[in-house]
Amino acid sequence: MHPATSPTAGTPAEPHHRTLAPRRRFLRGLVAAAVAVPLMFGAAACGDDDAGADGQVKLSVFWWGGEARAKLTEDALALYTKKHPNVTFEKTWQANQGYFDKLATLTAGGNPPDLFQIDDNYLSEYAGRSTVLDLKSYQDSGKLDVSKFPKSLLEYGVVDGKLAGVASGENTQGLVYNKTLLTSNGLAEPTTGQSWEEHIAWAEQVARKTKIPGTQDPSADYKAFWVWLRQQGKDLYNGKDLGFTAEDVTKWFELWKGARDRGATPTPDVIHEGNASDVTKQLVVTGKAATSWVWVNQMPDLKKNTKDELGVVAYPGDPSAQWARASMYWSVFKSSKHRDTAVDVINFLANDPEAAALLGTDRGLPSNMDLRAKVSESVTDPAMKQSIQVESELAQKFGQSPQVPIKGHSKVKSELIKAAENVQYKRASPAQAAEQFITACKSAIA
Amino acid sequence: MALTTAPGRTGRTGSARPHANRRRVGRDRHAEGLAGYVFLSPWLIGLMGVTAIPMLLSLWLSFTNYDILTPLSEVQWVGLANYERMFTADPSYWHAVRVTLTFALVAVPLKLAAALGVALLLNKAWRGVGLFRALFYLPSLLGGSVALAIVWVNMFNRDGAFNSFLALFGIEGLPWVSDPDWALQTLMVLAIWQFGAPMVIFLAGLKQVPTELYEAASVDGASRWSQFWHVTLPMLSPVIFFNLVLETINGFQGFTAAFVLSNGTGGPVDSTLMYTLKLYISGFTDLEMGYASAMAWVFLIAIGLITAIFFSTGRFWVHYSDGEK
Repeated sequence: MHPATSPTAGTPAEPHHRTLAPRRRFLRGLVAAAVAVPLMFGAAACGDDDAGADGQVKLSVFWWGGEARAKLTEDALALYTKKHPNVTFEKTWQANQGYFDKLATLTAGGNPPDLFQIDDNYLSEYAGRSTVLDLKSYQDSGKLDVSKFPKSLLEYGVVDGKLAGVASGENTQGLVYNKTLLTSNGLAEPTTGQSWEEHIAWAEQVARKTKIPGTQDPSADYKAFWVWLRQQGKDLYNGKDLGFTAEDVTKWFELWKGARDRGATPTPDVIHEGNASDVTKQLVVTGKAATSWVWVNQMPDLKKNTKDELGVVAYPGDPSAQWARASMYWSVFKSSKHRDTAVDVINFLANDPEAAALLGTDRGLPSNMDLRAKVSESVTDPAMKQSIQVESELAQKFGQSPQVPIKGHSKVKSELIKAAENVQYKRASPAQAAEQFITACKSAIA
Repeated sequence: MALTTAPGRTGRTGSARPHANRRRVGRDRHAEGLAGYVFLSPWLIGLMGVTAIPMLLSLWLSFTNYDILTPLSEVQWVGLANYERMFTADPSYWHAVRVTLTFALVAVPLKLAAALGVALLLNKAWRGVGLFRALFYLPSLLGGSVALAIVWVNMFNRDGAFNSFLALFGIEGLPWVSDPDWALQTLMVLAIWQFGAPMVIFLAGLKQVPTELYEAASVDGASRWSQFWHVTLPMLSPVIFFNLVLETINGFQGFTAAFVLSNGTGGPVDSTLMYTLKLYISGFTDLEMGYASAMAWVFLIAIGLITAIFFSTGRFWVHYSDGEK
């Protein structure tokens, strides 16, 4: 208990004022409580905000991921502390699910982490509300060195002219297929550059021969839709607006309706299972389809969940529709008291050779091209090796990055799943679902 | 503690001195009341800090465009816009209302029926009845748990245990949890299965029914059925009422299972988009906390109204009687 309350609360009862005493005591108690309660809360709320007189800085860092990532990240941060003994870290990490709830709640509670991981779903949401620090001035002053980054990867962190996030790794769309299944049945492997029609015809052939649907129907998958749109000369977003029309969506849904009718894809409920972002539920590893639509850097993770050999190529169509996507970013909170230190840590994680060696390709290919080459050479995991090789090849063909998805993007993603599943379960025609999808998107991004 | 003796003493003083003037007594009572509040203060502070103040804050937020990330000092007052949007411009809101009503209208009566039925069976004195009571009660202890929902989803998957069981009889099961026509029903079965808590309350109620009534009824030649209809049900009606109110409120608030089954999306195709899940998605995924607050308030009022309807109809069918009155 706070000392302020004890003198009043402890006053012994005065027998002569029996009737008045409780009331007076009550009032005194009330006053004491009124004084004590804010003091208690106040004491709890006060943290050591600024670096102490001795220059000690405690930087809070927050990221999502598994234990492997936690280990790598903690090692890299420990290395930073070793080089800068005045900086220590308060590390928090958790699974992807619920991460953004927590981040939003921490922000709302006025207790955001100094440095945090974010992805392109939410970068615009946070940047648009001025919750993240614009790193442009650090880039200009050279405190943040991004000179070795591919230009398009760097640009994919710019929102409304502000450098809102620094890519902590690069990935791109990848079509992962079950190599064992194909070779044992004497079927051709898919190749980069096949058209969508060719892909579907190939998948149909696989289904005929192996009784396993050749491809997961990706009509609910925004990243497949996005690549396809870019090949049609459209985009997911155009400024603050949608970059596509109901006709585009209808065409997309019809493409996959055709594939389903030909038996190239699984049944809707199986597709629904595969639509979950969980790596372990991807149909290529659960054996319910011969291919899954994922990110290239998920290949090694997928491999851990199956005995079969896997291969990876670009999504169908012209691969220049794909781009160097930041698999995730590091961002700094605008209100952080330690922003300079936080930026320096980002700089360290991105450009220090030792740190890059520790972090490996866990967050995607290292953004720094020099370090990427070094890290790639040292990789031993064959699945990892293959994904690096494919991504490096694709990097030669990458087109320009699209703009970072705008505010409301997460809603657009979930609305696409709903619309596509409505078509798959035959609850709506492609045109009806497309119409509803457009309406829902417009209100989501408004 | 010095305070603990005070109310008791003043109380005794009042009764020991019958001639003390009324004003004095009134003051004593007043003091007693105040002291009571002092004793309540830990709870009151909790109520204010954890419930009342956040609730009022959310009432205010429901009239704003609060998005969590913007500081509270910068939110804008939008009047009734959130409520307008909810009622006129958000089809998925009405969809969530339909899903929730369907869920509650089916699951709650069936759950209560199951609870009462099993309670009647377990009200007999036979060997091992205690074990069975415990077994039936167990699922509701695990009630809102995430683990149970995960088990449930895996059991009712296309290649889950339930379909393997059906396969023994040559029946080909459905993908219960990933088929939009069946996902909500799967959730209902899960809710009904957790009838343990109302069952225990029913059991306690059944124990309270005086055996003389049954004896008298059987002397009068009443059949088991009419004994149940004319003795058990009326005597049990307060307990039924209690369970009905509680389970209805619970049913409307179902969240965990729907969240786990659909990965927090309300899918497949919004078939499990319960009201609370829709609210959660609006608040945390779409970052529209003002809108979510408005939804929460409409929800509170709706549940309040439904409960009020129960209470106002209660006097027609709830039989309060302890024999003496």
